[in-house]
Formats: sequence, structure tokens, C-alpha cells
Amino acid sequence: MAPAQRCPLCRQTFFCGRGHVYSRKHQRTLKAALERLLPQVEAARKAVRAAQVERYVPEHERRCWCLCCGCEVRKHLSHGNLTVLYGGLLEHLASPEHKKATNRFWWENKAEFQMKEKFLISPQDYARFKKSMVKGLDNYEEKEDEVIKEMAAQIREVEHSRQELVRSVLEPQPVPDPEEGSSALGSWKGTNSLVASASQQPSYLDLPPAPELDWMETGQPLTFIGHQDTPGIGNIHSGATPPWMVQDEEYSSVNQQIGPSYEEFLKEKEKQKLKKLPPDRVGANFDHSSSTSIGWLPSFGRVWNNGRRWQSRHQFKSEAAARNKQSHKKSQSFPDTFSSQQTHT
Amino acid sequence: MSFLLPKLTSKKEVDQAIQSTAEKVLVLRFGRDEDPVCLQLDDILSKTSSDLSKMAAIYLVDVDRTPVYTHYFDISYIPSTVFFFNGQHMKVDYGSPDHTKFVGSFKTKQDFIDLIEVIYRGAMRGKLIVQSPIDPKNIPKYDLLYQDI
Repeated sequence: MAPAQRCPLCRQTFFCGRGHVYSRKHQRTLKAALERLLPQVEAARKAVRAAQVERYVPEHERRCWCLCCGCEVRKHLSHGNLTVLYGGLLEHLASPEHKKATNRFWWENKAEFQMKEKFLISPQDYARFKKSMVKGLDNYEEKEDEVIKEMAAQIREVEHSRQELVRSVLEPQPVPDPEEGSSALGSWKGTNSLVASASQQPSYLDLPPAPELDWMETGQPLTFIGHQDTPGIGNIHSGATPPWMVQDEEYSSVNQQIGPSYEEFLKEKEKQKLKKLPPDRVGANFDHSSSTSIGWLPSFGRVWNNGRRWQSRHQFKSEAAARNKQSHKKSQSFPDTFSSQQTHT
Repeated sequence: MSFLLPKLTSKKEVDQAIQSTAEKVLVLRFGRDEDPVCLQLDDILSKTSSDLSKMAAIYLVDVDRTPVYTHYFDISYIPSTVFFFNGQHMKVDYGSPDHTKFVGSFKTKQDFIDLIEVIYRGAMRGKLIVQSPIDPKNIPKYDLLYQDI
């Protein structure tokens, strides 16, 4: 028997020596592992031609497991606020250690020779990637500038529309009152800091008082429901007791205490203590207040039985019944013998 | 000594004690007040009862007054001490043939205190049978008869 060896790919110990690598199971596992790795490498290869630069997002911290070297590799390369997609992975794939490790892995696990090329990136490819990365960075900067310009234009637009709105509202106004002007001016200035031109100040003053007068005159008339005036009963103006303070006849006889009584409070305290006890203690769900019948017996595990605890109670009850029957029979037969003895003497 | 501990004289009282003792170990001593070994045991029980008041409730039961329980718990030697927790009987392995009760008296007060503590802890963990901490030398020896064999 060959010595015990561990195959890290199958995560298994085997005793076949070198034969394990050629077995069906190992090849199957190998294929699956390579299939898992292939998409990542292909995506990285695509990035060689057209490197993309993005704003940094925590997702870019993701790491990829390199099967050949047996180590975790950062997928994307990030520096400051920016990330180069697949930068880390490409760097690792182009390195000479990875090439050596891949060769070793292929030799040890007897994988297909043609597949090996797919998992390697040549140094020339890596140089190409670096160039496209520089281009990508430039593109990214341009894009950012554009975005900023757009945002500035948007803000300017919004400001403009707001100013126009304010102006249009203030146009249809009558001649202002100079007295009202001084007091309202202070408050209006505080709320609207946009407007600074002195010529527009008098036209703002009428805005608070004019709308108020309009609303009061043109509102709906109120419904009238009659005079609330009963001569006997008093109301709030005459100083009568409010309805919620008047004692009802039934309630006044009972002791009026709001909230729980003292005993209830103590019970609550006990309940709080109970909550702190471990929930899987013996008899946690035992109802202490349930009333028991005369024939109640506690749960007792007897000495000589080896069944469940209720079985011992059951056994006792049947034994007790048998014993009662026996004693009943004995008491019936006993008087006969006694009387016969008497007659004898 | 035995007048310091509460006594239960009928099945109903025993039932009530078992039902109403909550979250504490219930200790029921089955025996007669005049018996010498019972007197020793009662002495230990009464001296430790105040220290164990938060963990255990101790009662004395006269075997002649409660024949039902004497038969149910299979009490053939006195004194016998039975332990309950929340209405559930607790078995203890003392190294003796009978795990359902403690037969005889304890050698020292500390033995009894240790036993009560072990039962309480076991019950809090949900165990129905616990291992006795008492040294097997101090456990009284007796022969357990199975239906007079």
C-alpha cells in the first residue's frame, strides 16, 4: 500500500500513490475547479484591451482565489478614489511566480495541456494593459469634468427659475404704505436673502397684510346650532364641576385607586424575577396554581422500573387498585372465621 | 429539633407543598419524629434550613399519617428524604442502589448543603437526575429488597 497522501484539490486522503491523479473523480474535480476559474481570467483578459476606470466602491475590495498559486488575489486595483477594474488579477497573472505555479499545478494534477495557455497572461499583454489603463484614466477625468459641468448648469437653471417666480408674484401690487414698510421689511429681509436690490424693497411690504384681508371676507359662513343655555345646569363660565370630575354612584362605592394594587405590584416583581431564570430548568412550565384532585400523585420515578416517569404512576395506580380489591375481599371473609371460632369455644 | 421544621400530616398537605413550592428544591423527610436516626437527620435539617432558605424548602412528613405516599415512594427504611423541583421529582445517584430517595442521615451539615446545591444547579439546567457530591463513605449502607426476595 502506498503511504497516505492528501490531494488538496479533492480535499481527500488517498492511498493509491500516483494513480489518484488519473482517476475519474480527480479529473472531474479538476475540470470543475478550472471551469470556475476560467470566467474570471477571461474577464481580466478582456480588460487588457479596454481598461476601465471607475469611482471606488467597497465592492472593489473583492478578492479572487488563484487555484494554481493557492492564494487570494485582489481582483481590482484601487488607489484613493479610483479603481482600475481587474487590475490586481492581471498583475498577478502576469507575474513569473504565477507562471511557475501554473506549470507545477498542470504537471502535478495532469490537466490538459492546451488549457494551460488560457490561464496565463504574457508580459506583453500586461504592458498593453498598462497603456490602456493610462488612457482609461484620462477618459475618466474627462467624464468627471463633464458631470461636474452638467451639475453646475442644473443648479444655475434652478436658481434662475426661482428668481423669475419671485418676480412674477410681486408684479401685481398696489402702492405701498411707508409706515408698514419699516416693520415688515425687517422680517421679510430675514426670510429672503436672495433679493438685494433696493428698488424692489417697497413692493414686498404689502405681501403679509393684503392676503389676510382677502381670506377673512371671502370665507364660508359658519353653521349656527342654537344657544347652549339650560337654566338649571351650570357651565364653564359659571364655575360648575367638569363632567369628568363628577362621581358616578357605582364607582364611588369601590375604593378608587388608579393603577395596580400593592399585591399586584409584588406579583409583577416576582414575574420579573422568574424571567431571569433559565428557561430550560426542570418544571419551568409547571402550573403552580392549578387545583389537584384527591387522587393526584406527583411525577415520581420509581426504583425498579425502567420506563418513563408517568408509567411509574400508572403502575402504582393499578397496584393500588389491586391492593384495595384484595383488602376488600379479606375483610369480607374475616367475619366468617371469627364467628366460627366463637362457636367453637 | 423537629419542632423547628414545618410538618405535613395528610396527603392533601403534601400535595399542596409539592404544587406550591416554586423555583426552590422541595425536601420531604419521611420518617417518625421519635426514631433516633430521624432525630439526627432532623437536627441537620433544622440547622441548615435558614442558610438554604433561598434554595430549598424543608418539610417533615410522618410515614404513619400518609400511607399513600409511603407506598408510592416505596419507603421501606426511615428516614428517607425525597427531593422535588417545581413539582418534578429529582433523582440523585449516591452510589447506592436507590436513586429516588436518600435513605438514612447525613454525616455532616456540609454534605447536605452540597447535595442541595447540586440538585438546584442540575434542576436549573433541566436535568432530572444529578450526581451526588457526597463522599461514598458517608452514605449510609442498606440492603434494598425487591418484593421480599
